[in-house]
Amino acid sequence: MASRRLSLNSACCLLLYFVAAVLAGRDFYKILGVSKSASIKDIKKAYRKLALQLHPDRNPDDPQAQDKFQDLGAAYEVLSDEEKRKQYDAYGEEGLKEGHHSSHGDIFSSFFGDFGFMFGGNPRQQDRNIPRGNDIVLDLEVTLEEVYSGNFVEVVRNKPVAKEAPGKRKCNCRQEMRTTQLGPGRFQMTQEVVCDECPNVKLVNEERTLEVEIEQGVRDDMEYPFIGEGEPHIDGEPGDLRFRIKVMKHPVFERRGDDLYTNVTISLAEALVGFEMDITHLDGHKVHILRDKITKPGAKLWKKGEGLPNFDNNNIRGSLIVTFDVDFPREQLTEQQREGIKQLLKQKPLQKVYNGLQGY
Amino acid sequence: MRLKRVFHEQIFMTLFLLLVCVSLQCQCRESEFNYVTCGSLVKLLNIKHNVRLHSHDVKYGSGSGQQSVTGVEVPDDANSYWRIRGKPNAPCQRGVAIKCGQSIRLTHMNTGRNLHTHHFVSPLSGNQEVSAFGENGEGDDLDVWAVQCSGIHWERDDDVRFKHVGTDVFLSITGEQYGHPIKGQREVHGMSSANYNNYWRTMEGVFIKPSAEPLRHDEL
Repeated sequence: MASRRLSLNSACCLLLYFVAAVLAGRDFYKILGVSKSASIKDIKKAYRKLALQLHPDRNPDDPQAQDKFQDLGAAYEVLSDEEKRKQYDAYGEEGLKEGHHSSHGDIFSSFFGDFGFMFGGNPRQQDRNIPRGNDIVLDLEVTLEEVYSGNFVEVVRNKPVAKEAPGKRKCNCRQEMRTTQLGPGRFQMTQEVVCDECPNVKLVNEERTLEVEIEQGVRDDMEYPFIGEGEPHIDGEPGDLRFRIKVMKHPVFERRGDDLYTNVTISLAEALVGFEMDITHLDGHKVHILRDKITKPGAKLWKKGEGLPNFDNNNIRGSLIVTFDVDFPREQLTEQQREGIKQLLKQKPLQKVYNGLQGY
Repeated sequence: MRLKRVFHEQIFMTLFLLLVCVSLQCQCRESEFNYVTCGSLVKLLNIKHNVRLHSHDVKYGSGSGQQSVTGVEVPDDANSYWRIRGKPNAPCQRGVAIKCGQSIRLTHMNTGRNLHTHHFVSPLSGNQEVSAFGENGEGDDLDVWAVQCSGIHWERDDDVRFKHVGTDVFLSITGEQYGHPIKGQREVHGMSSANYNNYWRTMEGVFIKPSAEPLRHDEL
């Protein structure tokens, strides 16, 4: 009897423990869908993907959308910070110090600019009457390694922001026609500049950090906009900051769409006899090549799946096309070598004359 | 007893110094983002005359007839943005801080032309004409300027000079103003003497931080 009661006790304790553990804090790794050993880059990528999916504007029918989104923001805030992540790993959510928690809005907008852009993006078209500041386009040079594996670029944006100032200023100035009466039946039309009165503003420089992702498979001239981060307009809204991707030339690989091209020079002996080699790819992994047949100059080898990831679906990859050319011996052969080769190859003189430019 | 106390004090001192050193390091790390880096987009303010380096699709009416470069008073014109790039055929790595003495090109964001100077006379002051030259960021060897600052790297709040590699003049403003159609804008020119007219500082902009290396899967 006593033993059964004891086991019941221990079962209750266990249950209580689990409940407490569950209530004690959220599993941030689970929320982001990453493993406990995920790198900061994986965490940022996961956050970016889920933030787009879970945003309340995208899920108007889900009553828990706001909560899920807040959880996501909290998870990212902790796991993206080295210090906080260590504390969380050791002590759970409870163990985190009460420090300054940047609002989720801040984190989200530093990744994506304003919310409006991602969801519909229509508000922009209605502002024909609102003056807009200039756009800024920054050419962001990326390497082929970054196109293959992806990367994040942090920038500090220092820009003038309109702040309230004492007094009034003239705004919405326009030309208007004024009619003045000079006498009975005589009128004069003059042009006048008429302004409204607005609260005074001054421009103060402010800074914030933005982050742009170089997505895998990104193509030349693709743009990543940050709404409102362009130049301000004193009477209207600020323009946008757009990052324009420029993929740089690479010394080894050439990109054509999702395919990569490269060339290998082999020796004459290797061309005739065969060879084995490794090509180091953009992320360091080796592509193995084994030839046991004769390799002609200009021969192409297709390695499927060794190209770049497709931008729209990272799981699809292009191919790596390797073109071989053969290096002929530099020095002239000795008489002995010439005889040796004639013996080895046992070829009769060939010397076929034809028109090579017309496909004969 | 006394010896023990002195010993304790020494330990305390060292720990304190260590803490100070560590916190200074941390401070350095925080404002490590005080550097001007390759690829960044910046506005440059002339300290003495309080105008920003600027260009636009308006050509000089004399001299070389190339695109003009001026100084403007307003702080919110997108035509005052210049991108920092390496020398021709020697691109600098994105995000890496520019060293004092390093040669760079300044490419005008909106027109894709490089800050340039050559042996032509400037229209108002008779100094050396500074223009914007090239297409899509490619001009010639006279697009190169050396950043002069004290210290090791160009920092955002440094007052720096730009010395032209090729004609050895300094990028300067002495206050002469244009009339219509660019009324009020100041003449920017090259002058051979180093003085308070050739100090510049970065203001607004987009400063690129160095990135981590993309993920590598090195096999053993």
